[in-house]
Amino acid sequence: MSERAKNELPGRLFIVEGIDGSGKSTQLDLLHKWLQAQGYLVVFSEWNSSPIVKRTTKRGKKEKLLTPISFSLIHAADFAHRIHSHILPALEAGAIVLADRYVYTAFARDAVRGVSRSWLRRLYSFVVEPTVAFYFDVPLHEAVHRIAAGRPTLKFYEAGLDLGLSDDPFESFRMFQGRIRGEYERLCEEFGLTRIDATQNIVRQQMQVREMVQPHLDGVMRLDRVKMREALGRAGLSGRYLDPRRVSEE
Amino acid sequence: MTDLRFYGDRPPGIDGQSLPGRLIVLEGTDGVGRSTQVALLKEWLERKGYAVIDTGLTRSSLAGSGIQRAKRGHTLDPITLNLFYATDMWDRLERQILPALRAGMVALVDRYIFSMIARAGVRGLSPEWLQGLYEFALIPDRTIYLDIDVEHLLPRVIHDTGFDYWESGRDFLETGSVYQSFVEYQNRLLAEFRRLADRHDFTVIDARGDVGATFEAVSREVEQVISSMVSDAMPPEPTNR
Repeated sequence: MSERAKNELPGRLFIVEGIDGSGKSTQLDLLHKWLQAQGYLVVFSEWNSSPIVKRTTKRGKKEKLLTPISFSLIHAADFAHRIHSHILPALEAGAIVLADRYVYTAFARDAVRGVSRSWLRRLYSFVVEPTVAFYFDVPLHEAVHRIAAGRPTLKFYEAGLDLGLSDDPFESFRMFQGRIRGEYERLCEEFGLTRIDATQNIVRQQMQVREMVQPHLDGVMRLDRVKMREALGRAGLSGRYLDPRRVSEE
Repeated sequence: MTDLRFYGDRPPGIDGQSLPGRLIVLEGTDGVGRSTQVALLKEWLERKGYAVIDTGLTRSSLAGSGIQRAKRGHTLDPITLNLFYATDMWDRLERQILPALRAGMVALVDRYIFSMIARAGVRGLSPEWLQGLYEFALIPDRTIYLDIDVEHLLPRVIHDTGFDYWESGRDFLETGSVYQSFVEYQNRLLAEFRRLADRHDFTVIDARGDVGATFEAVSREVEQVISSMVSDAMPPEPTNR
């Protein structure tokens, strides 16, 4: 993995990882709001969201065309596109980038699908190393309980039904997530991911996340905004045609 | 028999040691006449009684249309584009080529991984990364490389299609006219192909001559690859009656 994030790029990159139902997205969302409230420039990037690649992935999933290698390659394409068009430029400009899932998701899932680990490491050599990579560690039964409680059905690949572990989607999901969790354990060792105990309550976890992020914020660019209401007042305007969010965000 | 050998680790879900079909790859730069030769070969083979499938870049059901769409915008970085091509390649390998080889067919592939490696190499991607990426590919029984120089290529390209944006390297070469950048790009690409030809043991065929002369040379090579197929499939001769 390239060392660019830490050494050359002025921005900061914080990412979250964990099995489905670990609560990582909630934590990232809270971090996002906290950083924005302090005026930091924050860019958010989600797994599987490249506008150019997404359609192919979607079709592949819907029509069950994806097998381990194509699953891996199309996700790598999506990730590469986001790195080059979204993540890297923001880091170069000095912004904070938050990513919900990163390369470790691919390492974990693809390895469970039988793809060579060393091939995956080389395939993804284009990625930028995160400033801090959080791993939200939750016991399997807890994660499965959270997902099962909130969802009537599971999607084919989400449940890992392509692995043929079980015909029952929820049983397959449980076995699939268990194996992914095993891979994450290995990745924590290999890449030094920062482990957060995701069985704690949400507020406590968020406090720990902020504590870990804080020391990395020195010297990061902030928006120096003249308060909108102040500006309006000075000009004697009401701002009635402005997007209401622009006024209230100050 | 085609040995089931890959450039790297065997991909998950692929079983067996050998396949009764043959994998024949045609490589060469755009405009050299590759697709013409593939079309002629297909007819020639079928006339001899061989079952043939032919496939080429971006013809996968999974990623073909996605690549076409992405290229229209001219916005993709070379890594993403190659991962897209690799997805397309693997999908065709798994769904078209391997099943055909299992069924004892001849698979004619119009541009395999080498075109992608050459084009990306010229655009500055690391050769190690590219070789690694395409490790999932099955090693062909024969790779026939149609060799040409820019001087002979030019009239064909002008006559057939004109100068294509990508095949003139306009996405990364900044100098000169379209013509100049075509010449520059093709010279670099041909050099890259020749490097690959050495490393991967291509059968190099001089494609500067006319269609007929090239086909004669190409079909002679293919003949060698398929000649053992009939005896492979024959039941053993009865020894006594």
